[in-house]
Amino acid sequence: MGAIGERVTPQARPDVSVVVIVYNDAERLPTAVQSVLDQTLHGVEIVIVDDCSTDDSYATAQRLAAEHPERVRAYQLPENSGAGGEPRNVGIGYTVGRHVMFLDSDDVLERNACRNLLEAAERDGSDIVSGLCVRLSMDTRNKKRDQWYPWLYATTRTLESVTELPDLFVWDTLSTNKLYRRDFLVENSLRFPKGMFYEDLMFIAEAYLAAERITLIPNQVYFWHVHERAAAKSVTNRRHEMTNFRHRLEIHRRIDALLAERGLDELRLFKDIKFLKHDLVLHLRDLPFRDDSYRQEFAGLARDYLAGLDRAAYDEVQPIQAICAYLLERGDWANLLPAVDTLTNRDKISSPLAERDGRVYWCAEHLDDPFGRRVLDVTELGYHGKRFDQMFLRNVLTRYEESAGTVRMAGRIANPLGIVGPDAALTAELEFTARRRSLQSFRFPVSVVRYEGEAVTWEASVDLARRLRPLGVVDAVWDVRLHLTADGVRTRTRLTACDPGLAQGRLPVRPRLTRLVADHMEPEVSQRGHLAFRLVTRDAASGRIQDLVARGTRGVPGRLAKSGFRRAKKLRKDLTSGRNKLRVYDEVFSRLPVRKGTVVFESHLGKQYSDSPRAIYEEMRRQGLEFDAVWSYAGSPEGFPGDATLVRRWSLPYLRALAQAEFWVDNQSYPLKLTKRPETTYIQTWHGSALKRMGFDEPAWKLRGKARQDEQERVLGRFDRFLIRSEHDVRTLAKALRLKEKVLLRVGYPRNDALVRAKRLEDASGVRERGPLAAELGIPEDKQVLLYAPTFRRHGGRHGRFALPFDVERFAEEFGDRYVLLVRSHYLNHVVLPPSVRGRVIDVSAHHDVTPLYRLADAMITDYSSVMFDYALLDRPMLFFVYDYEEYVHEGRGTYFDLRERAPGPVVDTEDELFAALKALDEQVLEYGPARARFVAEFGEYDRGDAARSVVDQFFSHWSAK
Amino acid sequence: MSQTVSEAASPTAQRTRDIFFVSNSVNELGGITSWSHQMAGLFAGRGHRVHVIGITEPGEPQDIGTDLPYPTTTLYDEHPPRVGPARGIKGRLNVAERRLRARRERGMHEQAAKLTALFAQAGPGAVVIVTQVWAMEWVELADTSGLLVIGMSHESFGYSQASSRGARVRKHYKDIDRMLALTREDADLWIRRGLNNASFMPNPLPFMPEVPSRRTEKIVTSIGRLHDQKGIDMLLDTWAEVAPLHPDWKLRIYGSGEDEEQLKKQCTALGLDGSVEWMGRTSDVPGALRGGSVFVQSSRGEGFPLALMEAMATAVPCAAFDCAPGVHEIVRDGEDGLLARLGNTGELARRLDTLMSDKELRDRMGELARVNIQRYTTEAVVRRWEELFLFLER
Repeated sequence: MGAIGERVTPQARPDVSVVVIVYNDAERLPTAVQSVLDQTLHGVEIVIVDDCSTDDSYATAQRLAAEHPERVRAYQLPENSGAGGEPRNVGIGYTVGRHVMFLDSDDVLERNACRNLLEAAERDGSDIVSGLCVRLSMDTRNKKRDQWYPWLYATTRTLESVTELPDLFVWDTLSTNKLYRRDFLVENSLRFPKGMFYEDLMFIAEAYLAAERITLIPNQVYFWHVHERAAAKSVTNRRHEMTNFRHRLEIHRRIDALLAERGLDELRLFKDIKFLKHDLVLHLRDLPFRDDSYRQEFAGLARDYLAGLDRAAYDEVQPIQAICAYLLERGDWANLLPAVDTLTNRDKISSPLAERDGRVYWCAEHLDDPFGRRVLDVTELGYHGKRFDQMFLRNVLTRYEESAGTVRMAGRIANPLGIVGPDAALTAELEFTARRRSLQSFRFPVSVVRYEGEAVTWEASVDLARRLRPLGVVDAVWDVRLHLTADGVRTRTRLTACDPGLAQGRLPVRPRLTRLVADHMEPEVSQRGHLAFRLVTRDAASGRIQDLVARGTRGVPGRLAKSGFRRAKKLRKDLTSGRNKLRVYDEVFSRLPVRKGTVVFESHLGKQYSDSPRAIYEEMRRQGLEFDAVWSYAGSPEGFPGDATLVRRWSLPYLRALAQAEFWVDNQSYPLKLTKRPETTYIQTWHGSALKRMGFDEPAWKLRGKARQDEQERVLGRFDRFLIRSEHDVRTLAKALRLKEKVLLRVGYPRNDALVRAKRLEDASGVRERGPLAAELGIPEDKQVLLYAPTFRRHGGRHGRFALPFDVERFAEEFGDRYVLLVRSHYLNHVVLPPSVRGRVIDVSAHHDVTPLYRLADAMITDYSSVMFDYALLDRPMLFFVYDYEEYVHEGRGTYFDLRERAPGPVVDTEDELFAALKALDEQVLEYGPARARFVAEFGEYDRGDAARSVVDQFFSHWSAK
Repeated sequence: MSQTVSEAASPTAQRTRDIFFVSNSVNELGGITSWSHQMAGLFAGRGHRVHVIGITEPGEPQDIGTDLPYPTTTLYDEHPPRVGPARGIKGRLNVAERRLRARRERGMHEQAAKLTALFAQAGPGAVVIVTQVWAMEWVELADTSGLLVIGMSHESFGYSQASSRGARVRKHYKDIDRMLALTREDADLWIRRGLNNASFMPNPLPFMPEVPSRRTEKIVTSIGRLHDQKGIDMLLDTWAEVAPLHPDWKLRIYGSGEDEEQLKKQCTALGLDGSVEWMGRTSDVPGALRGGSVFVQSSRGEGFPLALMEAMATAVPCAAFDCAPGVHEIVRDGEDGLLARLGNTGELARRLDTLMSDKELRDRMGELARVNIQRYTTEAVVRRWEELFLFLER
């Protein structure tokens, strides 16, 4: 389509000249050149520069020039220059186009690249136009694609100076995905450094700084072909060579000088950040595999450069990156190598850690240095809050010997913060599993496990030759893990073999299938530094057989076998897919008879045994009714009642129970796609009154099309009964969920019965019962309890971590002698508390049921959460800490009423206001008494302490045993 | 083909071309038909040889007049057979469906041959503008060698993703010379989804009325089909919040459509019968706009909404949901109109309240709107098209 033919005449000046450089790559050069000839923009010329190759590259280039005399020209350097810079310099000299691009002989341009780049260049009058580069892994089955810093290329944008977007300057240092105005290159004498690696870095830095206008376009322009397995690896793959590192540092120094000359301190800071995040990390990861002399030389080079870095950069990188850089600069190898292990294996805890003054540090050393203290503080990472079985501990191999087919190993496992105590009962075992498909695994006992303070040491003797029997062919690599059990709790480690040359040797093995392909095992170290074993052969003939086997697995039969395997996997996945389960629900389970007396309970999508469904269930048990109880759980059944049938949410038994149930009792929603049978009664207890707009009052629901709104109404139409606490609920929830009047049940919330009764008891006796939870949490008698229960926050970092909006250490300092603060984050968020507040601030987010926490708390701090409506029933002080009120209420989905107007307690916006209000807590008991009474009357008028009984009386009492 | 490079480099160089518009229908009711014939007329006025082609007869026709200065052609006499997706073994075994599919395919090749014959008569530098992706299925079967093929998506990227058009645009427009969205923001989104040939072209201003609105009547105007897409249900929710604050104001809703009855019920249920006037479909849009002081648009999805441009040309300030890049491209929020986040009826109500309460603000924004909207004059847009043709030939 649209082929208009070549129309570039030799005398016309082309729009774009593409400089293609080649060195010993005759095979791929034609593909690269063809990608330029195929450009949708016609006015493109090609200048090939051969860096004095020893293969046919230049002859190939000349042939291409002969085939396309009007568009292709070929040149050769008189001697090899050693890197890509000089050929490009020479190439620029030969170009005649208005714009210049660079292409490497193993890569290709996207078809529309020149057209898109040129359009932007002419539209904006830019010196540089840059587009998205895509890395293609040529050795993977589907040519895995990675976009190169795609966040820089999300939209079209024009910069008057690169200082507007420092990330571009520091991250996209490629010269190839760009179009340069030729006059711009010439006038600014922009050239690549000769004979140095990382030539792009220098060139692009100078070009960015010289450019008076830069345009970025989101279009893919350049495909960078990455060949992992290629024998002659390119420079970026040989980064372990010291020369590389030296060149890298040299280029960085030159760029630093350039920035200093121009006084671009901010850009320098961004560059320093990138150095810590990227450049240093690339080299650090190789350290464990290098010998001591390499490490010393590396450290010498790095230390010098690190000393010149802006220390502010350390605050902007991940803690472990800063820690590694700091320890490297200090030359602390003992602590650096474990830190590098964590750098490579992110979740690993590699250091024994140290707790000082209520903060957790990476190591006990360097804490007298204020900067070291800042960098090494890892409290925020929450290591100290992890359970033993959640920890991934570093386990260093300290000994490896083999004789007569037996391997004797010993190692040290980090014991962070003494989580394993001196008296813990310790056992361990080693497990060998095949990496590819774990068809079988072999376990070996560990004979000695010893507590040694900061570490747990172990020794084992493993008779691999006789006891480990691989199949051969399919299970070539075997991974090793050590399971450590302390007082019955187990954690899994991998063996880190960081000393080069420690694990070496060769053991005879007897594969079950055939000894033709392998008869020995050799230890090897994975990229992540972990010990593994590989099946090998000593026999030269079997090497050839291995080649044959390899060819078989990669050739046609192998492909068929593999695709068959994939298809079988897909079939299994399809059979258990949601769609097929739904079909079983609709076509099988829903045709079975309804089982009278069966009730399926669920709370918060099965995440908890809690709330009103629990209260109803317990009331039914209390009355001794005869019925079949089914509870749904998501995740683990732990904490759910033992006297009910437990079914995992979305499992077949769950679907069957729902299809046959006489009653559904739930507080949120059963799966939307499940149709409720007319014989089944759905009691929707709901889970809170509304401040924030809900359902069809939310913008997100409103803007759905009619079809989806109808579908939503059908789902909500499944409710046969909907529990209501007040007329406020009728005006808000019932309307927003489009519920019919006859569905509404004005009985209050069963979960709140306990609160109403607690209030009555307290009023009658004058004593506040704390309940057993106080002792469980270790709360002293003489301290008052505050509960902080904020609503769900979407923002706040990865993994749903929620940063507390006030300084929790300051709280502990000021109020620790009077109050214990319980923090309950929304079940989708979690918090990290520093050890310094231990005993004074407690994370209670994991508690299923919030009601006992309410009863325990003498006052409540919340924001917009519906807990305010429930807690108010206790008539105790409440504080509303609404630090993001404007954003949350006005910018968000809106509220049904103005909280500031009706809140039954002080509404505060800042930490200082919050603390001031906390000081005056006692006064609020009286001051806000009438406000609380009004609040309860308005939002909880039907909560009279008998909700569970009313529901049970109305629906279930005929199941009474009597 | 004889054109030289030096001519191409000069943006003012103009030459006449054969230009084909290919749409689902020549005269289907809707914005695309209005746009096609407006552009066709403009190109014809510049001396280009224009031909408007429809694949089939429309469901609901629009009056396009009889005295067009260019020929029109409709390929099918009757609508091509509709087929469902053939999924799984069941789909493959369905004989009737397979026959239908085969018949449809044969028919498509026959019709595409007609296109090939039309295209073959064109001179050098001819252009095919495919206004809708469905029509592209026929164009891609035809021989377009020697022609520039430009495919358009006349809605926002986001709205097209909600239908099958999102995937079809990516499939059928992948290899053409240029895919055109309506705004740069939309084009960028298409590019990020892999359409590397995507760019953008705004719609031209449909008309520039001699007499603007004086904004003295206490009337808020809405013009649009009574269909889900236009979000009149959300407009009524919005009006329910504004009306009590301004008892002397009326909301005039122009348009008709399938949802009319339901919307009127909703209006009654909200107690708005006293302040909402249902005007039905109008053929006098400029008159309807002149009669109001504020224009409101509550659509769930749009492209480059002509209604907003028309209101602004009439010097009526707009309050609208920001449902598409085209909306904030046309209305400069806070300068010549006010925008609210999509679906947030409370916010749209506040925007309306602001405009209704402040006559001075209304006048300032209305007059500025009439000035600002002139960046989309027909002359400017036609020039951009001609420059695009030249660029694609380089």
